[in-house]
Amino acid sequence: MKIIKQVGIIFTVCWLSQLIANVLPFTFPASVIGMLFLFICLLTGLLKIEHIQEKSDFLLENMAFFFIPAGVSIMNYFEILKSSVVQLVIVCMVSTVITFAVTVYSVKWTMRLLDRRRK
Amino acid sequence: MQALYTSPYFGVTLSVIAFGIGVKLRQKTKSAICNPLVIAIVLVIGVLLCFKIPYDSYNIGGEIINMFLAPATACLAVSIYTRLSILKKYWLPILVGCTAGSLSSMTSVYVMCRLFGLETNLTMSILPKSVTTPIAVSVAEAHGGVVPVTVAAVIFTGILGSIMAPWLIRVLRVSDRVAAGLAIGASSHAVGTSKAIEIGEVEGAMSGLAIGICGIATVIFSMFI
Repeated sequence: MKIIKQVGIIFTVCWLSQLIANVLPFTFPASVIGMLFLFICLLTGLLKIEHIQEKSDFLLENMAFFFIPAGVSIMNYFEILKSSVVQLVIVCMVSTVITFAVTVYSVKWTMRLLDRRRK
Repeated sequence: MQALYTSPYFGVTLSVIAFGIGVKLRQKTKSAICNPLVIAIVLVIGVLLCFKIPYDSYNIGGEIINMFLAPATACLAVSIYTRLSILKKYWLPILVGCTAGSLSSMTSVYVMCRLFGLETNLTMSILPKSVTTPIAVSVAEAHGGVVPVTVAAVIFTGILGSIMAPWLIRVLRVSDRVAAGLAIGASSHAVGTSKAIEIGEVEGAMSGLAIGICGIATVIFSMFI
């Protein structure tokens, strides 16, 4: 029963966020609304972490599994990919290095600014 | 023969077995290249092609698995919530780092795709490649991207990030553990985070936080495209 209740809570959050996503005048992913919604519920104490612990551990630990069907559907797109796979790989590699470096330096500079303020 | 694979149990069972093999191989080799998800995808595609089973038959079960994606994303809230104290302590560097990281990821992808003359739908597919799969998929979908390409790009980036992270930390001489953790999470989401946890506790926690926050930042930026 405990698990069923937890599934119920999380599915209700997802269902409500889908409704919110439909009403919003701009496109915002329902899953991210669900995440913010759940976060607010936890912050305000509306939900306690114990209410969803097991179910959320199950979902987070097995996150990768849920992407198998989405990944398998790439077999329908082999034709499109064939001509541009090299470019896509280069873009991913270069962009990963850029993202890493920009994040490192922006965090460093922010910390340095904060330190200077404190002094 | 057809009855064997037109049931939803077929897709689910095949996925579970393929993933089980992937997890086992990962435990044996402990290498980032042996990503259980990649192994599972390759195995499932292999089985479908070998036995000439149509994708749509597999996907009857696949859709059931897909249904858990949104709840799994929502649960990222739990992992942010459990790190609330560290979030409060470093909120400004985290916010600045994740915003700058997400923006630089999207801009660099966009500019390079333009330089290579890639089609718009491919560009939109890989634009959110640095954030966690469920969020990346939603962003790509909203802008006409090809979802499976997004999934492939996200996993590829994640593996790449987790392999390059220790090397990048050395080359860029990152002594600050908060900065290192955030950079790993911002550039390579959950796959990178598993590496960050190996590097250290602070790095792991920061990387985990960056997954959710970069995800939200990417969604917000993508609204202006």
